[in-house]
Amino acid sequence: MDVLDQILARFAEAAARPLDYAKQWKAAKGKPVVGLLPMHFPGEIAHSAGALPTILQEDDEPVAAGLGSIFSFYCGFNRSLCDQLVRGEFNDLDAVMCGDHCVQLLGTADAIRARAPQIPVLFNQLITSMSMPWAFDEARRTFVSLKEELERVLTRKITDDDLRASIRLFNKDRGLMRRLYELRRAGKISISARQLQQIVKSSMVMDKAEHIGLLEQLLADLDTKGSPSNAIRVYLSGHFCHAPKPEILDLIEECGAIVVDDDLFHGYRYIATDMDEAGDPLDALTKWYFAHNREVPCATLADKNADLDDFLLNAVNRSHAQGLIILLVKFCEPHMYVYPEIKEKFEKAGIPHLLVETEHDGIPLEALKTRLETFLEIARRRAAA
Amino acid sequence: MQTTGETLPQIKSGVQTLGRKANRLAATKFGGQIVNDYWSDLFRAKEDGRKVVWYNGTYIPPFFHAHDVAWVHGEAWSAYLAAKHGELPAQRAGEARGYDRELCSYARTHIGQALLGLRGDENGTADGAPPDERALTMAKLPPPDMFVNAYPYCSSGQQWDDIIYRLYGKRVPIYNISIPLLWGGKPDARYLHGQEWEERSDYVAMQLRGLAGFLEENTGRKYNWDRLSEVMFYIKKAAELRMEAMDLCTAKPAPASFFDWIVSIAHVNFLPGTQRLIDYFEMVKAEIKQRIADGEGAVPNEKYRLFFDGMMNWNKVGWLADKFAAVDATVVAGRYTHMSFWQEPQLIDIADPVRGMAQNYLICPNNHGAPIMIGEIEKVCDKFDIDGIVCHASRTCRGMTNQQFLITESAKRKGRQAMFFEGDVVDESFYKDELLNSRLEAMIEAMDARKRMVA
Repeated sequence: MDVLDQILARFAEAAARPLDYAKQWKAAKGKPVVGLLPMHFPGEIAHSAGALPTILQEDDEPVAAGLGSIFSFYCGFNRSLCDQLVRGEFNDLDAVMCGDHCVQLLGTADAIRARAPQIPVLFNQLITSMSMPWAFDEARRTFVSLKEELERVLTRKITDDDLRASIRLFNKDRGLMRRLYELRRAGKISISARQLQQIVKSSMVMDKAEHIGLLEQLLADLDTKGSPSNAIRVYLSGHFCHAPKPEILDLIEECGAIVVDDDLFHGYRYIATDMDEAGDPLDALTKWYFAHNREVPCATLADKNADLDDFLLNAVNRSHAQGLIILLVKFCEPHMYVYPEIKEKFEKAGIPHLLVETEHDGIPLEALKTRLETFLEIARRRAAA
Repeated sequence: MQTTGETLPQIKSGVQTLGRKANRLAATKFGGQIVNDYWSDLFRAKEDGRKVVWYNGTYIPPFFHAHDVAWVHGEAWSAYLAAKHGELPAQRAGEARGYDRELCSYARTHIGQALLGLRGDENGTADGAPPDERALTMAKLPPPDMFVNAYPYCSSGQQWDDIIYRLYGKRVPIYNISIPLLWGGKPDARYLHGQEWEERSDYVAMQLRGLAGFLEENTGRKYNWDRLSEVMFYIKKAAELRMEAMDLCTAKPAPASFFDWIVSIAHVNFLPGTQRLIDYFEMVKAEIKQRIADGEGAVPNEKYRLFFDGMMNWNKVGWLADKFAAVDATVVAGRYTHMSFWQEPQLIDIADPVRGMAQNYLICPNNHGAPIMIGEIEKVCDKFDIDGIVCHASRTCRGMTNQQFLITESAKRKGRQAMFFEGDVVDESFYKDELLNSRLEAMIEAMDARKRMVA
């Protein structure tokens, strides 16, 4: 195994078993681990308190015991979290932070509080009405409150300098991953969608310094031979909270496509926006929250100046993608609300698009293969016309 | 086996037995008249030159009433259509645009209504099919001049209005009020108490004061705060009477049931604050008192007392009332009816009502974190001497199903039976009658056994 493979294997390992990674990190460092619920809670705060922030992930186990805490008509991510919760997978966490406004996540937060009472759940609901005059002050108040609660739970004061240092580190990591995205978009590297997902996913759960070190090495050693020229260029969209199954990503590429860009949470959405490193760090967090939604709009936020459908059309054009594949998590209400607008926008623009509904327990890949092949053939003919 | 279609077979066992029906309060007929008058008045709003607000979420109409604009509650409209079995055209229009049926059915119905309205589709069909009689009602709904969103807890609620705002091309002004969840994580957090409670009360009150400015801006008229106090005088008095009447139902047999309170929701949710509201709840209270004096129950032969958790299944109000009555079970109280809609009227200072209104909005039945909310459910169950809890696992209303596993666990700890049944708020297709029958039958057996054991 060469160095490159070793680096990718390290990312893959952390991405596949993030809680094992956290356990080992905690044992080695003797420092706390803080679990974060997606989608917008910045890990910078927990990091500045000396903790390892780890965004809680869906795992591959079938949901069984968890169904005593959550109904089957909730999204697979929340069902998986509840299942991991009752299996005791979160027992090594020193706190959980959450506050995004998805009604299903709110239920999961209560389930964590009830089933694992030893874990402090720091809940601070972020404002989702982004265009109201009080939105900035309210978001800042939320971050201040969160910081203070974390200081109390971890019994450690977080200084402005601590927070600025964490912001710098996170920015650096995001910047390196964006560099990979730029190279992929430009067709200068051959990296699979699975590998890129592992890189971004591992950045959500790994020690930042370690992740940055590996990423710098990867970028230095990466072969810039380019991607296959005859593949159909596709853009992936959706999955606001958890990673699409790697098998689906593999299948898309096996069917003759190359993923050139995405707005996935375990993708560009997570790395798109940096924070100000110089000014007041709580202002920086707050500004980031608003800027991020302008950069990559989120369906859970009501923002008069951000439209996911417009963003997607621009992003697809910018990346010269020949088609859009929408990965919609079954029971994901925020995504289901905006899907008809996206569909209409792309129909009007004449750009091929395919909706794929995904589930925690997996989907029949043979049936998907047929749909993908048909979609890619349409995209190929449309491009040739 | 085929039936003649004229009469249904009488099945002797348990919940399928027909004949024993709920004994509804007579006063609710007057209540229905007030509701019908509200809708008739709304349908005339444009002719009368009144602007129309479409809003969703909590009970903010006093702000509109005080400013003489008409208002439509999206949920209430969807429930109204469902209660009249007229929801399907709107739901079909939503589905035709691609809205998944797993989305909140209130929202799907309301968004479908907006789609039909935008198309000017008077017969409520998307494809030129013959006019649907039921959908003709829908054409009467006046289009919006303003949107206001004030949804506690549920993220779907805010997104729903955002989608409608976008459907109207972002040309109709919108005002979003955030009513954040009372998580109750701080050491001093208790029901109506603590730092979070005080801070969030101020926060929502600030936004409500801003609502007056929004209404002024979009009507060109100055907001009359005295008028708000006047409207709130009637609302507060009606709310007090409602709570007093509810409290009387600790009597055995319970003189009124959850289903009587369900058909009285509109009055405290979105009807205008006038003397008629007070008259209505005085009638309700007087009838309840008379029933207590006569020993008359809401269920003719009350043996069991139940608590209903979850949102109402609006297609099935009468159906469910009779189903529980058929097994001698009175559904005495519920989270939706007894823990919402101005249930803390004493918080409202008529001279300066805004903060107290904000506080009542904050304590809507799902806006507390589980520990405080379940503590309040336990208090209601203790007060009404409840034997069991029935949870309506409403498929598309996850805001009300979120804590139901924890609620049933608390019931069991308290020695109460608990069960789930599946349905939905306004999408009838999710309702499974046979599941409810068998589970209710089993629950009745278990409650019987427990009563025998105690005896």
